[in-house]
Amino acid sequence: MYGGDARGNSYVDDVLAPAAAELGVRLRRVPVADTQDALNRVLTEIQAGRDDGAVDLVWVNGENFRSGQQAGAWLCGWSDRLPSTRYLDPDDTLLTEDFGTPVEGCESPWHQAQFVIAYDSDDVADPPGSVSELLDWAEANPGRLTYPAPPDFTGSAFLRQALYDLGGGVASVPSAYPGSRSADITEPLWDRLSQVAPSLWRGGETYPRDLAQLEDLYREDQVSFTMTYGPSTLEQLVRDGTFPAGTRVLPMEGGTLGNASFLAIPANASDAAAAMVVADLALSPEQQLAKADPAVWGQYTVLDTQLLPPDVAAGFAALPSSDVVPPFARLSEGALPELSAEWVAPLEEGWRERVLGR
Amino acid sequence: MTPRLQVGRALLVAPALLPVVVVVGTGLTATALQSTGLMPLVGRAAPTLDAFRGAAADQDLVRSAVLSLALAGVSTVLAVVVGFLLAVVVLDGRTGGRLVRAAAVATIPVPHVVGAASIGLLLSDSGLVARLTGTGAGGMPQLVAGPWWVATVAEYAWKESAFVAVVVLASLARQHGELAEVATNLGARPFHRLRRVTLPLAAPSLVAAGGIAFAYALGSYEVPWLLGRTAPEPLPVLAYRLLTDLDLTTRPQAAAVGMVTIAVAVVVLAGTAALLRTTPRSS
Repeated sequence: MYGGDARGNSYVDDVLAPAAAELGVRLRRVPVADTQDALNRVLTEIQAGRDDGAVDLVWVNGENFRSGQQAGAWLCGWSDRLPSTRYLDPDDTLLTEDFGTPVEGCESPWHQAQFVIAYDSDDVADPPGSVSELLDWAEANPGRLTYPAPPDFTGSAFLRQALYDLGGGVASVPSAYPGSRSADITEPLWDRLSQVAPSLWRGGETYPRDLAQLEDLYREDQVSFTMTYGPSTLEQLVRDGTFPAGTRVLPMEGGTLGNASFLAIPANASDAAAAMVVADLALSPEQQLAKADPAVWGQYTVLDTQLLPPDVAAGFAALPSSDVVPPFARLSEGALPELSAEWVAPLEEGWRERVLGR
Repeated sequence: MTPRLQVGRALLVAPALLPVVVVVGTGLTATALQSTGLMPLVGRAAPTLDAFRGAAADQDLVRSAVLSLALAGVSTVLAVVVGFLLAVVVLDGRTGGRLVRAAAVATIPVPHVVGAASIGLLLSDSGLVARLTGTGAGGMPQLVAGPWWVATVAEYAWKESAFVAVVVLASLARQHGELAEVATNLGARPFHRLRRVTLPLAAPSLVAAGGIAFAYALGSYEVPWLLGRTAPEPLPVLAYRLLTDLDLTTRPQAAAVGMVTIAVAVVVLAGTAALLRTTPRSS
């Protein structure tokens, strides 16, 4: 799994792994810089014809899930049979489709996430309420905004959020990739992004290579905005003094992107059964509550809180609130559905051509 | 050399040579097969040069190659010049020389990724230098992720100059002292000693170390990734982005970029070998 989140690492090592050990499964966390690295390892193993793969369970979603499906890299027909699935809302399309790719029992839900843009309220008096207002703000305040260069995960999410805002909203941007029609939809996005580029950090000639670098720029007060698909990290970063105390989540009128992330088992995993035990454990109400606590990890649950045992539901209701990040119910108001994973590659390529190569 | 002696020698180097041949050979073969469509992830194997054409047409392969050559070339020249001067300071034999030798030896085991991170902390807009000199984010020249790739070149030049210095010192250890003394007794000034004794003695090792440093800088990924800018991309950064692209069809293009990088490195190393043959041997 992605190893760059200290609280995620300590949740898995100190909470999930001991619980798995009680069930007789030894869970060994292998950090990767990017989920693509894990997928790449699985693909290379499969390409080499190895059926005793080194990877048993991958934290994955969206484009990596789809890439893996394309190559038959995931074990299927197991996740819908896990006992803990009884606490899931069976009609929740967020859980039955992963960025437009049908899940079909090939991965088990783990977290919900909401894309947010955060700002320093000491720098920004009148916070913009949409991506187009944000870009207007950048033109009025040159050099104070940038976003991670796609294919970085967060930078790529920013592109999709901007596409919704600049391309006419949910009504005009179809979730399924519309093939040749996509050029008309993306045209305003490329126009606006390349138009605003000279007003970005470093005149838009270079971009932060990843989210970590954007966070460095924000921390050093070189830019006034940062963004993340894991808003609960903001609270922690403000509390430990990394981010300015005035950090707040930008209220976006049209809503922001939301998604779920999953645990998948490679088709060539050597311990698939043990991996299923861990996936079921990770989905159990107790574990979902434990990791939802902002002091532990602060990852939003995928479970339907109405279906939960009363004591666990009460536990969720009692989770502490934050000044920096509004509660999940507010964040996910009018949440925009994630675009199909087929959108991602053309968007990243288009950005490289039209915005970076302008 | 008798045939028997040759067999004996071959056996002696086999333990070192075999793993290199197996590991590098497998990697090269797989890359070559993938770049020519003979080892596809999906679909049937058929020989094609589409990956090379695609990389050249869609990915600015030529610009990447020119950038990589320039980065490796400039940093190698700097490393060779600075490394040679460091060796001269050490040969001078004063206290400063001993310090320089210790610094050079200590630099060698530092991994490039650590070196790149340190250079980043030192030279970035709000890095140590910017703080010590009191220049704000606006006043600091764009060294990291800037248009002239200064931080990237500085990292290679710093690490490789230490490597060059150590190689040169090792090769000069035996003869240099005596020959320099003879030259001094014959009336050579320090500059002439440098020009007529030290430089010719050091030339073969300078060429060899320079060739190695160039090949390393050409193929290294982490330094330009950490210290470079988004576009244009050096060859290894381009190859890695294509390899991990969501679109699996770009994987052959990644292999093609890898093959181009290898070809450039082979040409340079062949040039180095030719240059070594023409350099007068000291013995």
